[in-house]
Amino acid sequence: MGDSITFSHATPILVEKMNFTAITANWIFLSKALWITFSISALSMVLGFLIGVFVGGFRTYGGRFLDIILGFYVDTIRSVPLLVVLLWVYFAFPLIIGRSIDVYVAAVVGLGVQLGAYMAETIRAGLTSVRQGQMSAALALGMSRVDAVRTIILPQALIRMLPSLGSLFVSIIKDSAIASVIAVPELLRQTQIIAGKTYQPFILYTAAMLVYFSLCFPVARGIDMIYRRYSHLGSS
Amino acid sequence: MFQWNVIWDNLSRFIDGALMTLWLSVVTMVLAIPGGLILASMRLSRFRTISIPAVIFVEFFRATPLILQIYWVYYVLPAYFDIRLSQMLTAIVGLTCNVSSFNSETFRSGILSIRQGQWNAGRAIGMTDFQVMQNIVFPQAFLRILPALASTWVSLFKDTSLVSIISVGDLSYISLKVRSETYRILEVLTFMAGLYWLMGYPQAKMVDWLHRRYKVSE
Repeated sequence: MGDSITFSHATPILVEKMNFTAITANWIFLSKALWITFSISALSMVLGFLIGVFVGGFRTYGGRFLDIILGFYVDTIRSVPLLVVLLWVYFAFPLIIGRSIDVYVAAVVGLGVQLGAYMAETIRAGLTSVRQGQMSAALALGMSRVDAVRTIILPQALIRMLPSLGSLFVSIIKDSAIASVIAVPELLRQTQIIAGKTYQPFILYTAAMLVYFSLCFPVARGIDMIYRRYSHLGSS
Repeated sequence: MFQWNVIWDNLSRFIDGALMTLWLSVVTMVLAIPGGLILASMRLSRFRTISIPAVIFVEFFRATPLILQIYWVYYVLPAYFDIRLSQMLTAIVGLTCNVSSFNSETFRSGILSIRQGQWNAGRAIGMTDFQVMQNIVFPQAFLRILPALASTWVSLFKDTSLVSIISVGDLSYISLKVRSETYRILEVLTFMAGLYWLMGYPQAKMVDWLHRRYKVSE
């Protein structure tokens, strides 16, 4: 295999080729793509959060049997790449059920199922971090277990989980780019298309990087700020 | 419905792909541990000219998709900086920059988790900062960051699948190739997922074990 690096005496081609027409001419096309990135990320966050609450909750309070079954789901997702999950959901699963799936549905399900597993682990860690005594106290007051979790334990757990939830949200925005592999017309996919048409990969891929950065970085920092502001509510 | 003989006919290729996946993960991690240490110590430096570039590098690689970073290295370096790397090297460069950034934050938080008093104590008995780091802080920090490092390893193992987009012959690339040669989509994709599962599941369990074993309880 030719693993070699060659440096030739490069002229400053970087400066020559720097122009923004590839972006300005395809502005609307790329903003639509950004909207799709945004919406599949948001939808998979919702789906992932729902899966996470149920799986995390049942693993914590649902007894041994449910813990083993749901633990298998979580550990499977932790060991299989998202790329493989998406490819399987979009290309293989339709062969089993005998009908094709919409590509957006495949992307949101793939991303949501992946996020759900990590979310479940985070939520379980948050729930178990709340002292046992609080559950006992709630039960002693005559609350049902569901009410105790819903009104007492989960709110504290959610605050404690904020930092990890933040990094999961960031990672799902980043991971939505992998949906380009199954041709979801999201930001990376459409950037590739324009880059192929205009032969301006540098400016386009760099711009895409900056866009992803400006989506992810504020989410990470914003959640950190919210956490610092409200972390006292989670301590008991 | 199923024709599993596609798998057995191409079994040696799948195994080569799986070995390539493992090899890429090992090489990347071996490069990204020193990479992360360098970035972390740059970031902890008193001098802003040293710390700011490290901050920018780390935050940038942590907040952008790896798949885009791989494309960027693949298309932009040869076309605009005239640096020609083979696909394999491109993959390693992309993965190493990404994982180094994550490792750097792990190392940094590990080092910062050691109380200031230990630094002072080391200095009080006449050690240099480097000696304190080497003999007191790092050995303790290392045990604390081991679980986080192991989690990064598992994500790296899974992320290597993304290098298939620049046709490095890892497990997912080989599988997609076999798929397009044989059209046995269901069998090939399921087998690929199964192989990843077989390799990844024990690693995920090992991470859990490390988390239990080296949990920091204050």
